Amino acid sequence: MSDLPQLAVSTILLGGMYALIAVGLTLIFGVMRVVNFAHGEFLMLAMYLAFWAFSLLHFDPYLTLVVSLPLFFVVGWVSYRVVMRPIIHASHNVQVFTTVGLSIALQNVALVLWTADVRFVRTDYYAIVLRFGGAAFNIAQLVAFAIAVVFTAALFAFMRWSYTGKVMRATAQDRQASALMGIDTDRVYATTWAVGITCVGVAGVLLAPVYPVYPTAGLQFVLIAYVTVVLGGLGDMAGALIASLVVAAVEVIGSYVIGTAWKEVLYLLLFIAILVVRPAGLFGQRGAELLGT
Amino acid sequence: MRAIAPALVFFAVAGLAPLVVRDAFLLDGLILILMWGAAGAAWNIAGGYAGQVSLGHSAFFGLGAYAAALCGTRWQLSPWIGLLIGALVATATGFIIGYLSNRLRGPYFVLATIAFSQVLLIGASRWRGFTAGSEGIPVPFRPGFWTLGIADKRVWVWIVLTLAVLVYLVQLYLERSRRGYQLAAVREDEDAALSLGVPARRLKVAAIAVSAALTAACGALWAQYVGFVDPVYVFSVDLSVRFSLAAILGGLGTALGPFLGSVLVTTVETYLRARFGGIGAGLVGIYLILYGCALIVMVRFAPQGLVGWIGDRRRHRTAARATP
Amino acid sequence: MSLLSVTGVTKRFGGITANKGISFEVQPGELVGIIGPNGAGKSTLFEIISGFYPPDEGEVRLDGARLTGLSPDVVCRRGVARTFQKLRPFPGMTALDNVMVGALTRTKDVRHAREQAREILARVGLGEKIEAHGRTLSTGQRKRLELARALATQPRVLLLDEVTAGVDQRTIPGLVQLVRDLHAGGLTLLVIEHNMRVITAMAPRIVALYLGEVIADGTPDVVTHDRRVVEAYLGQAYTQ
Repeated sequence: MSDLPQLAVSTILLGGMYALIAVGLTLIFGVMRVVNFAHGEFLMLAMYLAFWAFSLLHFDPYLTLVVSLPLFFVVGWVSYRVVMRPIIHASHNVQVFTTVGLSIALQNVALVLWTADVRFVRTDYYAIVLRFGGAAFNIAQLVAFAIAVVFTAALFAFMRWSYTGKVMRATAQDRQASALMGIDTDRVYATTWAVGITCVGVAGVLLAPVYPVYPTAGLQFVLIAYVTVVLGGLGDMAGALIASLVVAAVEVIGSYVIGTAWKEVLYLLLFIAILVVRPAGLFGQRGAELLGT
Repeated sequence: MRAIAPALVFFAVAGLAPLVVRDAFLLDGLILILMWGAAGAAWNIAGGYAGQVSLGHSAFFGLGAYAAALCGTRWQLSPWIGLLIGALVATATGFIIGYLSNRLRGPYFVLATIAFSQVLLIGASRWRGFTAGSEGIPVPFRPGFWTLGIADKRVWVWIVLTLAVLVYLVQLYLERSRRGYQLAAVREDEDAALSLGVPARRLKVAAIAVSAALTAACGALWAQYVGFVDPVYVFSVDLSVRFSLAAILGGLGTALGPFLGSVLVTTVETYLRARFGGIGAGLVGIYLILYGCALIVMVRFAPQGLVGWIGDRRRHRTAARATP
Repeated sequence: MSLLSVTGVTKRFGGITANKGISFEVQPGELVGIIGPNGAGKSTLFEIISGFYPPDEGEVRLDGARLTGLSPDVVCRRGVARTFQKLRPFPGMTALDNVMVGALTRTKDVRHAREQAREILARVGLGEKIEAHGRTLSTGQRKRLELARALATQPRVLLLDEVTAGVDQRTIPGLVQLVRDLHAGGLTLLVIEHNMRVITAMAPRIVALYLGEVIADGTPDVVTHDRRVVEAYLGQAYTQ
């Protein structure tokens, strides 16, 4: 029981990071009805951005953050126009294979350009460990968490109160009606996609000081993101937040109880269980999975 | 019978080639074409004919590979038995996966299949006691037909060709038979099919199970041919995508499509590897970038694949000839 | 014994009760029209009878045997076929193939199914369109195709959902005659219909639904003059 504070703190810190990744993914699905299989690869690219900015320009990752935010918005916007727009109304399979193709292409671009060597972003303050109430964590994790929370909160506020946010939510609820109301759905999709990519653009930079960077780094995070997003209900942003904490808890407690080697199996089994028992997730609409849309 | 003429030609050429070609490199290429073609065709049964697009088929391939490898190393049995065991285990796994994922549509189904294959990946990588963990299993070479220790590549061509023809015939059966029509209906519109009395649920599960068995058979042969089973590769999502790539490029839901797709993919890959392989692992990634782009482009512009593209051109020519 | 009996069928979706205690019997060879305003629960009733939704309460029986709880394909094999309001021909298949899918539920032989399909397509007036893809047919033709497909399963009861909706005026009489012919041939039919002129001429018996309940059940004359039906659906002007 004395380990409880540590478990709790680890869960929260981890959950905050997962939330940022998951929220972008669920937003894209909610509005565009597309599962972005390349989500992890954009995350990976952001991690590499932080790494190269750090090793070549000695930029602190939190400085890189300022650049990555607008940069990834642009990357998102461009990738939407080039890759996603042509297939936005195509069948599910076409969409699946498009984002899968994108994922493979991006992974291997990273592999070809930067090799499979694992990179690390080791800032000077990396080794500083803070202790609080019986729990230990390093400063990078805390800052990552804090920024992730701020960013996610800003995103929620944007969705709730801004005009664009409302337009996005309207489109999520009913594509056709929105188009009939004069909403430029293409613009909404472009914005949604770009926002989703920006989320991982930010997340990647925040994660770089904490996790190793390599071409397939995105895979483990995106798998967790899928689990989170399905658990919270595809398209449900608030659900994704709560689900992030649940998944982080499963991972932290799982590692604690059965060791890190098998923890992935735990959330994979959780994933399969959700898909079988209640695919709509905790908060999604019952039966959403039957439509597939 | 005109419809299967191209396939007859394809398999005849493949079967006769070893009598004419001596070059080991070319024969190796042919073996890989047939093997990936067969795997792609097996995937096509679930993904193309039944509309159950899965990115977790490597689960079955890996099961077959491991069955063959374990039979050879741990249990001192013939890899042929390994193939049978692998196919049986894969069929059972296919039933389970098919049954559990039955109600899932679209991206949910894809995600479920990925999750299943990753569970197997992690299981195989960590369960040292059983599978020698992430180091993989080197498959021993013991000369003889019964032990599938065959040095002569020509014989390998014929072995893989047999499997390829088998999978082709299964697909053909699906095109012509009662179950095939029903499956096509399920693929096009499951609810409408149900309303017409088509037992959609059973058919989907059966398609996945059959697809699983055949994929596992490919895995078993591959393990014996290549000589090494690495869990990270054999259960990877990349491999699953590869099966689907062959089918998509060649023509989803057509019997010859996956084989044509495999010709394209394997040729490009072998060429690139031969050309750039020596320079470094980095450039090996280039053909994967091409895969990725090929997928994006193909599903957008030519969803019917090569078969559809060729079919279209022939129809245009016939139409052009018809108009005076 | 009635061929189809619906007893106390109730279905709730969240806060909405789409069907509330619906009960009626259908005798062999009857043609029953089902009318009601949008949201009255007509399509939900069809979904329940054909097995796509299970009712929360109540049951449906065919010839005394329970249909409730069976999956839609089993319901069809037992003898209840349906068409959909939103037409769904198999887009990538020809008209012939479409109907063959239905025929293959009753026969294992593909060639036999093909012959049957040809016959049925001729019977519904699509003899010339056999090789046409589902996509290329006009709405009226699609309606006939849906009908043909369902007929191929040799149903004992056929549920028709809005057969004349979305079809231009010229095509309606042909479709109506088709339904009449099927009825004359001995088929039991349940027909959801919005077009009052069509349904009163076609159906010897009409069941009216409103807000999920049956509010009238009788001959067209009786139903169209029923006070509740007039208030809920028809309006005063209709009965003049």
